[in-house]
Amino acid sequence: MSGKVGAVVVMFVGLFAACVPLQAHHGNASFDVSKHPTVKGIVTEYVWANPHVYLKFDAKDENGQVQHWVVEASNPPDQTRQGWTKFSFKPGDEVELTMGSVARNGQPIGRFGFRGGIILNGKPFPPGAENAGDTGETVPKQ
Amino acid sequence: MAKCLMLSAIVLLACFFVPAVPAQDVKKNDRPDFFNNDQTKEVAQELAKRKWNNSPPVKSFYASQKSHAPAPRRDLTGIWDGTAEGGVEPWGPVEHRAIFPGRMQDDSAGHPDETDVENPLPFTAAGLEALKKNKPGVGVRAVPVANANDPVDNGSPPGFPRMLFYEMRVIELIQPKNQVILLDEFDQVWRHIWTDGRPLPNIDDVEPRFFGYSVGRWTDDYTFEADTVGVDDKTWLDNAGRPHSYEMRVHEIWHRVDYETIELTVTVDDPKYYSGKWNGLNKFVLHRLPDDFDMEEFIYNGVEATDYDQVVAGEAAKPGK
Repeated sequence: MSGKVGAVVVMFVGLFAACVPLQAHHGNASFDVSKHPTVKGIVTEYVWANPHVYLKFDAKDENGQVQHWVVEASNPPDQTRQGWTKFSFKPGDEVELTMGSVARNGQPIGRFGFRGGIILNGKPFPPGAENAGDTGETVPKQ
Repeated sequence: MAKCLMLSAIVLLACFFVPAVPAQDVKKNDRPDFFNNDQTKEVAQELAKRKWNNSPPVKSFYASQKSHAPAPRRDLTGIWDGTAEGGVEPWGPVEHRAIFPGRMQDDSAGHPDETDVENPLPFTAAGLEALKKNKPGVGVRAVPVANANDPVDNGSPPGFPRMLFYEMRVIELIQPKNQVILLDEFDQVWRHIWTDGRPLPNIDDVEPRFFGYSVGRWTDDYTFEADTVGVDDKTWLDNAGRPHSYEMRVHEIWHRVDYETIELTVTVDDPKYYSGKWNGLNKFVLHRLPDDFDMEEFIYNGVEATDYDQVVAGEAAKPGK
């Protein structure tokens, strides 16, 4: 009997999980746009996807502990317009990122600045970025 | 003989695929060296060389185009760029953004209504009540991501007129017999505007649709006007969660200013939710893109969106340490 009850509970939990809506991804409410830390690390994964492109990299914090950062950009068309491609980053690349904003909750989650603020394997990215400069917030478009 | 047949077939196929375009075609190679603050010169040069997945040029490029050809008569055909003039409107349509004057959403989210936004909408009591049921992720009423209920997040298409008020990037207009068809890069959706003289349906006789029912006509040689009814009231008007009732009627004016330019005005008429008509777009400029412009694929992907929500948005929305 208890097994049946358990199965029903699992079924309802499963149904509930399936019905939970995708979280809105537009907002900046979770991010603090006044903070622009610069973090240096090694790329572990680069995801070129809708609704948002994002980059994962590992970096050591001030205590020497490895932090698994995730930094989001806008969507592929917006990033294309900024000179990014699906092949811009690869695991093992060394990056130095000046964030456009970071998560308010203290998690190692950030957003790219609109332009500038990216050093990829020792060079400004994308091409010509050395002449751009500011690190204003990238506002995700959808 | 076989060679002759093959040659004939190739010629026929070539004729079939050559688009009927006006004489003043826009060639991609005509693009000058364009640059402004939104794109580096180097990136612009690389993008201009692309044959596939083209990206529209930035606004300063269009500003540099001094010579404009005359508008063709009764013709909207072409690939059009809304990106350069601000067609991507995260906070609501350009004429009525849900932000406070001089402030970005980041320091003004969480308000219960839209009091004091830069250009308020004339909500009725019913409209205000409907507005409050919609929980957007942006604008002065933005809620934390986990609490938003934007239908687009659940995989619904943006519908009409949100397709014009939210992500109007690149669109293609084609004019087969009796229709104008709008192909939209965002979510790869389309809508039909019938031009065969049929009247609009009685909305009580038809089922609601995401993109409603549209009819249009040329009011002069360079102005095409369309009306739409029957839009499902589950859709939002914009990214800021503005509602509409099923009684809404939308009027569009597509004015072909010259060969390279369309001005688009979109008026919402919904007495149930708004005490007066209002323009979401008012002479919004669309720029003609080259005929060989290959639109990028920009489709909301539920699988990728779920991954994103789990990896980024969901983690960022969790309570602080």
